[in-house]
Amino acid sequence: MSLFNAISISASGMEAQRSRAEIITENLANADTTRTPDGGPYKRKDAVFTTAPLSFSFSEALSSVSSQNQGVAVADVTVDDRDPERRYMPGHPDADADGYVAFPRIDPAEEMVDLMGASRGYQANVAAISSIKDMIARSIDLFR
Amino acid sequence: MTLDQTGLQLGRFLTYLSQREEVVASNIANADTPGYQTRDLTAPADFSNALTDASAMIEIPALPSRNDGNNVSIDREARLLAETALKFNVTAQMLRSEIKNVRSAIEEGRTS
Amino acid sequence: MNTNLGISSVFNPITQVLPAAGSKPAVSFTDVLGSAVNQVESAQQSAHSAAMDLLANGKGDVHSVALATQRAELSLELFQQVKNKFVQAYQEIMKMPM
Repeated sequence: MSLFNAISISASGMEAQRSRAEIITENLANADTTRTPDGGPYKRKDAVFTTAPLSFSFSEALSSVSSQNQGVAVADVTVDDRDPERRYMPGHPDADADGYVAFPRIDPAEEMVDLMGASRGYQANVAAISSIKDMIARSIDLFR
Repeated sequence: MTLDQTGLQLGRFLTYLSQREEVVASNIANADTPGYQTRDLTAPADFSNALTDASAMIEIPALPSRNDGNNVSIDREARLLAETALKFNVTAQMLRSEIKNVRSAIEEGRTS
Repeated sequence: MNTNLGISSVFNPITQVLPAAGSKPAVSFTDVLGSAVNQVESAQQSAHSAAMDLLANGKGDVHSVALATQRAELSLELFQQVKNKFVQAYQEIMKMPM
């Protein structure tokens, strides 16, 4: 059962990294979004991870070791509140009186590196599930 | 007559290995969680008794922390993941052989 | 290597009741076998409850259930072989002309 629990933990890791990747791609897609329904340019978002106990667990059945292991979840999506980047573009429809347009403060290179991190994290969790499934299969072999 | 220890010890080792794999999975899942500290499960000195409890869980000293306080080394965890699974396979295989041997010994006495 | 996986307890009633050499036999085959049956039965009970625990409550490990099941099976097989031997020996004795 440690092994079944472990699969749930890795699955939560996959889910969290996937959410993180989604948020990053949203940032990338909106790197040049100068107007939003709230007014003003798009503000980049960050996923914040936290440890999270597993939702399903038969808690009485968890061994004392298993109950100490936790999965992960996206606790919060924080909005980057820094001042927007101002670029001088007098002809732009969203230019202000001085001819400056407010752009989101997003560095595509930074977002790409972050995305690679999320991708690696996702793959690591996939590898974990694969390993664990193998162990369960070996356990089942003991029946034969 | 004493109860055989070998089969039981191997079984306990399997339990220990599966618990350790779970800890590794937890480390991997939390590799990007701010403040998370890598954990590991110490092996009992011998497997002739029932496995120990939660006190066997330890933190790893001397792992460098990143800016967000997380000290998980994905290399270390990937290595442990593979190593533990491999040990599990070997141990399970040994158990299967043992079971087969006992079964053959029983069948050898068959007269009908 | 000692390989009997904990099923030697099935033998316990046999070794405990077999008398020292030279003394008159004090128990019957049925006593010994009856006691061994109980041991086999309890091994099967353990395996069954371990399996149920895992499937219904998620408690325990697959490998522990597998080992308990194998132990129960081996206990039973061993018992059957021993029983066959006993029956054979009994029949040999009954065939002896008196």
